[in-house]
Amino acid sequence: MVLGLRQFTDRVGDGAGEPFLDADNGEELMHEQPGVAVVLGNRAPDSPGTLYISTKQVIWLSDVDRAKGYAVDFLSLSLHAISTDPEAYPSPCIYAQIETEADEDESEGSDSESSDALDLSKITEMRLVPSNPSQLDTLFDIFCQCAELNPEPIDEEEEEQNWVFSADQIVEETAEEEDHFSQNPSNSIGHSNGDHDLARTVLELQINDQRFEDADEIDHDRDSGHH
Amino acid sequence: MLFFSYFKDLVGREVTVELKNDLAIRGTLHSVDQYLNIKLENTRVVDQDKYPHMLSVRNCFIRGSVVRYVQLPPEGVDIELLHDATRREARGG
Repeated sequence: MVLGLRQFTDRVGDGAGEPFLDADNGEELMHEQPGVAVVLGNRAPDSPGTLYISTKQVIWLSDVDRAKGYAVDFLSLSLHAISTDPEAYPSPCIYAQIETEADEDESEGSDSESSDALDLSKITEMRLVPSNPSQLDTLFDIFCQCAELNPEPIDEEEEEQNWVFSADQIVEETAEEEDHFSQNPSNSIGHSNGDHDLARTVLELQINDQRFEDADEIDHDRDSGHH
Repeated sequence: MLFFSYFKDLVGREVTVELKNDLAIRGTLHSVDQYLNIKLENTRVVDQDKYPHMLSVRNCFIRGSVVRYVQLPPEGVDIELLHDATRREARGG
């Protein structure tokens, strides 16, 4: 997944209309709000434009410049709020904080592909200013609804758990073909561990335990086989 | 699930939510969902000098995954109850 704000220019039809959504993966348009200006960071507002809220992302498309549009996944929206304090921003708006890659590993982002002065991937704040402030509550509610549709993907954790589980199975399986196991101390088990050191340590411990246990059993089996 | 039911009990109380980006927001807990997304009302930013633009937002939805800590009101913490609940959770019940 790519964190942060990104350029969005995929429009359906002749390129003037609605954003192209990933319908194959179940993305649906939840709300369309014309007459919304977008403010990225401390930049000047972009307007006029139309706000599209889908089940996966927030998209703002310029009404005048068809090459201009921005999108951010709900997964990257840390928080959103209704801002009505004129000291915070002159016009009532939806305020959103965007999680960026730079946030995570404080490293200076390597040069981006575009030489554009505006580096979208580093924008951490966005304001959406509807021409009619009475729409704010509706917009806020839709944002909430869609954010809840996008919980944190748990694949990684699940994979790890599944993997630990299946590792036991693998060990049990390979124990039956001891030769294979001892000839390849660096078999796929160690490999799949990746760079997760703790997991590796724990797993190696488990593997060693299993080996001892199984070796005993196998010896025992052999013994009983002989007699 | 323990945190979810516990936070649900705190609805209506004042909490301070500290985010992983160091922003701390104080407000009335409006609701919480199973992903520990948190909705606050009448929010204010604790460190106003650092985040002046967040001075006062009316409602605020915070993504569960960006929350580092939730500071609870002392009167909202029933130690006996939590003790029991954690023990039950540890037993997998």
